[in-house]
Amino acid sequence: MKGRRYLSDRIFRGIFLFAALFAAAMIVLLLVFVTVRGIQPFLPSYPERQSILPFLTGMRWRADQGVYGVGFIIINTLVGSILGGLLALPLAVLSAIVIGRIAPPKISQALTTVVETLAAIPSVVYGVFAAGKITALVDDIASTFGISTYGGSSQLAVILLLAIMTYPTMTSLTISGIKAVPLTLDSASLALGATKMETYFKVVIPGARSSIFAGFSLGLGRAFGEATAVSMVAGNALIGPTTSLFERTRTLTSTILAGLHETVGLDYDIRFSVGVVLMIIILVTNAMIFGVKRHFDKKAEGK
Amino acid sequence: MTKLSKGKNLLSKILIFTMILSLAIVSFACDTSEEPEPTDAPTEAPTEAPTEPAGSAEIHVYSRDSASGTREGFESVVGFADELTDLASEVASNGEMANQVGNDEAAIGYVSLTTNFEENNLKPLAYNGVEPSVEATVSGDYTLARPFAYTTRASGDYESDEKEQIVEALVAFLTQSTEGLEAVFDAGGIVEVSSGTPWEELKDDYAIVDQDNSHLEITTGGSTSVEKAVLAALESFQVHAGNVQFTMDQTGSGDGWARVLGDEKDGPNGKDIGFASRNFKDKEPTEDALASGVFCQDAIVVVVHAANSYVDDVSKDDLYAIFTNATTDWAEVAK
Repeated sequence: MKGRRYLSDRIFRGIFLFAALFAAAMIVLLLVFVTVRGIQPFLPSYPERQSILPFLTGMRWRADQGVYGVGFIIINTLVGSILGGLLALPLAVLSAIVIGRIAPPKISQALTTVVETLAAIPSVVYGVFAAGKITALVDDIASTFGISTYGGSSQLAVILLLAIMTYPTMTSLTISGIKAVPLTLDSASLALGATKMETYFKVVIPGARSSIFAGFSLGLGRAFGEATAVSMVAGNALIGPTTSLFERTRTLTSTILAGLHETVGLDYDIRFSVGVVLMIIILVTNAMIFGVKRHFDKKAEGK
Repeated sequence: MTKLSKGKNLLSKILIFTMILSLAIVSFACDTSEEPEPTDAPTEAPTEAPTEPAGSAEIHVYSRDSASGTREGFESVVGFADELTDLASEVASNGEMANQVGNDEAAIGYVSLTTNFEENNLKPLAYNGVEPSVEATVSGDYTLARPFAYTTRASGDYESDEKEQIVEALVAFLTQSTEGLEAVFDAGGIVEVSSGTPWEELKDDYAIVDQDNSHLEITTGGSTSVEKAVLAALESFQVHAGNVQFTMDQTGSGDGWARVLGDEKDGPNGKDIGFASRNFKDKEPTEDALASGVFCQDAIVVVVHAANSYVDDVSKDDLYAIFTNATTDWAEVAK
């Protein structure tokens, strides 16, 4: 009896191990595949060889002329995604406090459902909404300043869209973080004479900081990776970088996506190079977020 | 507790800071963007605008992405290859083009003739004085279009009689049958479907389609632009012609003639039927061919926002000037 139990234990351990290794292998496979394809256009053996420096610093993307420069696209992507994420962050944290602490259970349950539904809406639906409503709003704002836009397709429209799209991810993670902060801490804070607001901002939010950072980096990941919806409101400029919120922009993902199914040769391969750039940007941003989090952890521990 | 609150204090401060920062950036950028903006466009006031819509008269150019067949067609008819202005916006699909131009009063773009103009708030422009329509395209009056031409091998130059007969049947199906014309039309090719004859009546002249033809393989070559229309027709033909097989190898209009009637016809790349997204040139004689001609047109319509009152009609030169940024003001086009 004991032996059989031991055996099934081992079998299941093997299955779990396989699942974990499989997931890890997928990531490695993906990284290797994209990187190998992505460096092809820069190798000497490639017929229409590209130089890496003009590619990384170029301020024009003219596929028809064979000019591929992602410099301005990198800048535009970073600005759009980070501003979008920063716009969503305070909203996410404040609504998580309402759901996790302030609202009565029934309302809190309803609000949680709403947030989870928002997270489940496919991005193309956000895109259709944004291409009709957000662009119109941006166009109205711009015209009050006397600026003419391309029908509202602009950096600002991208930022607003990404704020809306990253908000649910950030909120649901922050909610679980806030719910994990023991209520006894709140009571202690209140007993020491702190007001409710002081308690939320100085006890609850710092206590949930791990989840807030996790939510922020997941949200940014979605912002960086969003292609369909963004390309519908970005205006896909051919030159850059974008210096005004009302100017058109272009992101790395929308560049990869545009015309992907109809193109061949260099114009196809170069998209893998753009993918490599995007992966590096996401890795660096996540490392930076992690660094900031470490900083707060150390502060909190008083080191 | 004091140790703890130090870190927490900072965190909440950062939270509030980012909130203020993001708001500040939004409002700040609005102010600064006002100044550099006019440098983009010439500041001369539009003088002779007939009825001037509100806002600036700057032209916003929209283009399809560089892999698009519609863009290739448009640029080849208007006559430029890579001179599109850097200020253009690229859109990813015909629907997106319709949507964006319909939302931007200063916009100009181009869509396929099958687009619903009214629903998308678009005004289709006449080209050289001719309103775009299926009839005007088929008759050749509307010239912002390019012909999709085909040619077969010379009579007796096929590997078997069966092959020659099935190719003859395919040409009849592609150019005369209701089913073939419908398939081409649904794939975006401009033909008059009503001029077709049901295949049931036509096929009496092509006895070969009644047998099982799964051992026969038709190979096609030439233009890549025709691929969608030809594929649709071939898929439909397969059903009506005893499951005949086909292989498409579209590489460019130049190969359409060369691999069927020219130098390469007996080489490894030789094809049974060749296509070009233009008429065959004088140095590409098709007299010997079993059949040749134009099987459909690819029509493109220049569109502007429905509220645009500057233009109703554009010429090739107008379009060239607008899309290469030589003309940047609607008032200039209206003159």
